[in-house]
Amino acid sequence: AGPSAAPPAEPLGWRAPVDCVRANELCAAEAACSARYRTLRQCLAGRDRNTMLANKECQAALEVLQGSPLYECRCKRGMKKELQCLQIYWSIHLGLAEGEEFYEASPYEPVVSRLSDIFRLASIFSGTDPAGASKSNQCLDAAKACNLNDNCKRLRSGYISTCSRELPAAERCSRRKCHKALRQFFDRVPGEYTYRLLFCSCRDAACAERRRQTIISFRSPLALPFILLSLGFYLFLSPSLARSRAAGARSRLADFHANCRAAPQAPGGCPGDNFQACLGSYAGLIGFDVTPNYVDASPGGTVVSPWCSCKGSGNREEECETFLRDFTANPCLRNAIQAFGNGTDGVPAVKGPSAPATALPPKLERSPALPDAANDSNATYDTSLITTCTSVQ
Amino acid sequence: GRAKRARARHKPCALQQLEVSVSELGLGYESDETVLFRYCSGTCDGALRSYDLSLRSMRSSRRIRKEKVRARPCCRPLAYDDDVSFLDTYNRYYTVNELSAKECGCV
Repeated sequence: AGPSAAPPAEPLGWRAPVDCVRANELCAAEAACSARYRTLRQCLAGRDRNTMLANKECQAALEVLQGSPLYECRCKRGMKKELQCLQIYWSIHLGLAEGEEFYEASPYEPVVSRLSDIFRLASIFSGTDPAGASKSNQCLDAAKACNLNDNCKRLRSGYISTCSRELPAAERCSRRKCHKALRQFFDRVPGEYTYRLLFCSCRDAACAERRRQTIISFRSPLALPFILLSLGFYLFLSPSLARSRAAGARSRLADFHANCRAAPQAPGGCPGDNFQACLGSYAGLIGFDVTPNYVDASPGGTVVSPWCSCKGSGNREEECETFLRDFTANPCLRNAIQAFGNGTDGVPAVKGPSAPATALPPKLERSPALPDAANDSNATYDTSLITTCTSVQ
Repeated sequence: GRAKRARARHKPCALQQLEVSVSELGLGYESDETVLFRYCSGTCDGALRSYDLSLRSMRSSRRIRKEKVRARPCCRPLAYDDDVSFLDTYNRYYTVNELSAKECGCV
């Protein structure tokens, strides 16, 4: 990484980027800030945005907090207390950015490193050129590289043994454990290893099948249609579920949208043409409800999709298709995966970090999300949608 | 040649490692995946205990005759490595435990 990658060595000032756990501590140390924050949290608890903003006190609290480090704070993937950080982030942004907002700002810090950094590291670790393995099976080489590294081997075997276990009776529980083990693998093992396993390029079906099996897709197919991932649904189910599950899955999804959203004007098709950021956000989705994977074992085709369909989306089918297309027909994601397989950064190196994702300004005129979700009958969510979202295998 | 072999034989008990394919392990799995196999090798000359000396003495005085005894320490794993998982050629995952040594000692 360039000099821009180093965090600014400032004393703990009131300036971004500071992580939300730290921002929370800074706020707690100031009587005015902590009082406003407490007020806002009470305002948001169990209420939708409009109701909240109708209250003068709540509105004042929000205005004050918008000038505080809490409003600008971000989280890091795999950081200590990540969930706590995300919960703090969403405690301010959740009720403000709409639950049904299709693309949300990412709660994560922008990624400044590039794919070339990974290639450099990978060649240091393995002593070989990662892209030069064209004669052999790249995915097999990636498995070898992982097996020869103690940390990678341990966490890989951790998720494999958890996810490939046959436990039909305790299926829900084992799926949760499997997802957790997958998240640990992708959060704690450096990209030099995980990306090689996930994005290796293939010339034959055996290689492509190995690539597809990387995350043991057949063990985690019970994903939900994206409607069910929306905040409204989580709040509808239970506020505590909304807090933890929405904080995790929605954060990663927002991050994916921020970094992998097709940018037609960029030569590589990605925001800031940062392939590394896109691949990182993609890998960050693994182990959540919206876990994506390769749809088949065709060597050339790199079509990926989360394990759900748009059947049963009702009047939101179009929205659902748009959501799916960000995976299945996304030039940015496709270029990034191919660039990694070819061992190139794909585009001429762009100096300096990409522009940080801008925070969504609170939109005061939009109607709240929650009533939409709450108006639908329980049955819609409880049965039909979940059952239609079966594995696409 | 001989000198080198002799030196190798007299290396004290320590952890060694080898990169092998899963098929080569001889456990019946078919997989081209490479794993790190760590094993213990070396001599334990310096680790003779009073136990070993006494046992030898009992044996030579024929107080112990028929039983199978071992009057010298041998180089064995004291602890085993974490589990190893791999995908076989039929696209099934397997996990093997206690495959590889983690720490060696004369026991």
